[in-house]
Amino acid sequence: MAEIKLRQVAKVYHAATPIRALDCVDLDIAEGEFVALLGPSGCGKSTLLNILAGFEDNSEGSALIDGSTIGRPGPDRGVVFQEAALFPWLTVWENVVFGPKMQGVARADYEERARELLEIVGLQDFAKAYPSQLSGGMRQRVGIARVLVMRPRALLMDEPFGALDAQTRLAMQELLLKVWEKLNTTVVFVTHDIDEAILLADRVCVMTARPARIGREIPIELARPRSIDDLITPDFTRYKAEIMAEMRSAHRQAETQAA
Amino acid sequence: MSDTSVKQPVPDGAGLAAPGARTLGSTLPQLILASSIGQLLLGLLLPVAIIAIWQFAGTDGSLFGGVLPTPDRVVSAWWVWAFGETGMGLNPYSGTWFANVVFSTQRVAQGFFVAIAVGVPAGILIGWSRLGAQILDPTVQIMRPVPITAWLPFSVAVFGISGFSAIFLIALGAFYPIVINTTQGARHVERNLIRAALMMGANRFDILRRVVLPAALPSIFTGLRIGLGIGWTAVIVSEMIAVKSGLGYVLWDAYYVGRMDVVIADMVSIGVMGLLSDQLILLAERWALSWRLAQTR
Repeated sequence: MAEIKLRQVAKVYHAATPIRALDCVDLDIAEGEFVALLGPSGCGKSTLLNILAGFEDNSEGSALIDGSTIGRPGPDRGVVFQEAALFPWLTVWENVVFGPKMQGVARADYEERARELLEIVGLQDFAKAYPSQLSGGMRQRVGIARVLVMRPRALLMDEPFGALDAQTRLAMQELLLKVWEKLNTTVVFVTHDIDEAILLADRVCVMTARPARIGREIPIELARPRSIDDLITPDFTRYKAEIMAEMRSAHRQAETQAA
Repeated sequence: MSDTSVKQPVPDGAGLAAPGARTLGSTLPQLILASSIGQLLLGLLLPVAIIAIWQFAGTDGSLFGGVLPTPDRVVSAWWVWAFGETGMGLNPYSGTWFANVVFSTQRVAQGFFVAIAVGVPAGILIGWSRLGAQILDPTVQIMRPVPITAWLPFSVAVFGISGFSAIFLIALGAFYPIVINTTQGARHVERNLIRAALMMGANRFDILRRVVLPAALPSIFTGLRIGLGIGWTAVIVSEMIAVKSGLGYVLWDAYYVGRMDVVIADMVSIGVMGLLSDQLILLAERWALSWRLAQTR
């Protein structure tokens, strides 16, 4: 479990004309909190996640996890990628135990947990299958299991269900809710799906495009445990209306600035 | 969960082989063409036709005034070459086919092994590390346009008239396609796979061994197949000039004494050995990349 603190974080890509992908991002994430970063594609939300993961460096500002500067990528920050990014030459089981093996954990110390996690994500019968033999949703469940097996302090998810069909996405959202309510890990969840953000998160941060920063933060006070039934409650609709209005004004602002 | 179904593997050509409704409307010729025996026969049609025309165009066992022997003469020359008595008589090739095939094959295997041992690590290094590319790539690119045949005098001068000459040329010729294809494979590893490995605590060596190498394997096998073909070219060329044994030596020697029947039998032997060794690589590829077959089915 981890506390994340971002202060005036900016990311500049050096090109002929430097591109400011992120600008003055301030964000505090409490231990065990589930935060959704919501915004249109290309608004820099993946860049922000990559900085948290350590895949990219921030050009300005400070990014802290539990008080120390975020460094190279590591097993304390588990990343779930959009296309799962499983190793296609390894079986489901080998993919799930890749992390513990790389860290030199003894087989006896990870085997049971790996088996348990495969069961939680419903893939106990597919341990010997290759990723190419699985559906998109199943692949993503392997992606989640291989990260959780490492007991990360924070879970960083980059549009993990973006490429799935609507029905599978709902099932995956419920699965994630179930798993998270059990583990209570800090989660940073990047998405462009408003429903998904409200359903999952304790707090939705709406990101603006040009300059890319966090516009408004909206706490979601829907009771937990949540399920997809919450999608049709009046409270949910109220949040959705509020966020849509926010996104529309952010969009209009970006348009006028571009023009 | 709504998506517990696994994509069922469908064997190649299942649509054609499937009994029932699909085949009812098919005509007999269509069915014959669809079967694997039918396809094999179809592939044999052209070579059989060429051999038949070649045979019947000849008179007294040869064409073009005695220059080109007919297929039956080639077969009987091969028979003596393979199973005749050694050591005695006017035919110096009698009974030496197996020994010569083994000589050439061994040289190809040895040179090819050296090419893999050097080419794969070098390719991984060039494709993966910028420093590796800066150090190695210019040398490879400068050397590569020099054809292996141009290396022949150099090779004879350094290694003399010996098997080493051939092995050096084979290794050099096979090295280029292996190193270049390995480089391509190592250079185009999906970025998120590397990031995933880093995130799970892999160090640089782990990433090379467990991510870059397996990701590059399909390209590496492409390089191996091309390299092996060049290896056979190199062994024949160098045996013709720099070595006194093997299929290449017999090829040139037989030409000098006017034994075109042996020359053609030799050419066919080279073709068969090349085909067999390529099949061996294919088999190894199918084994090493079985994870990939699961996907293309």
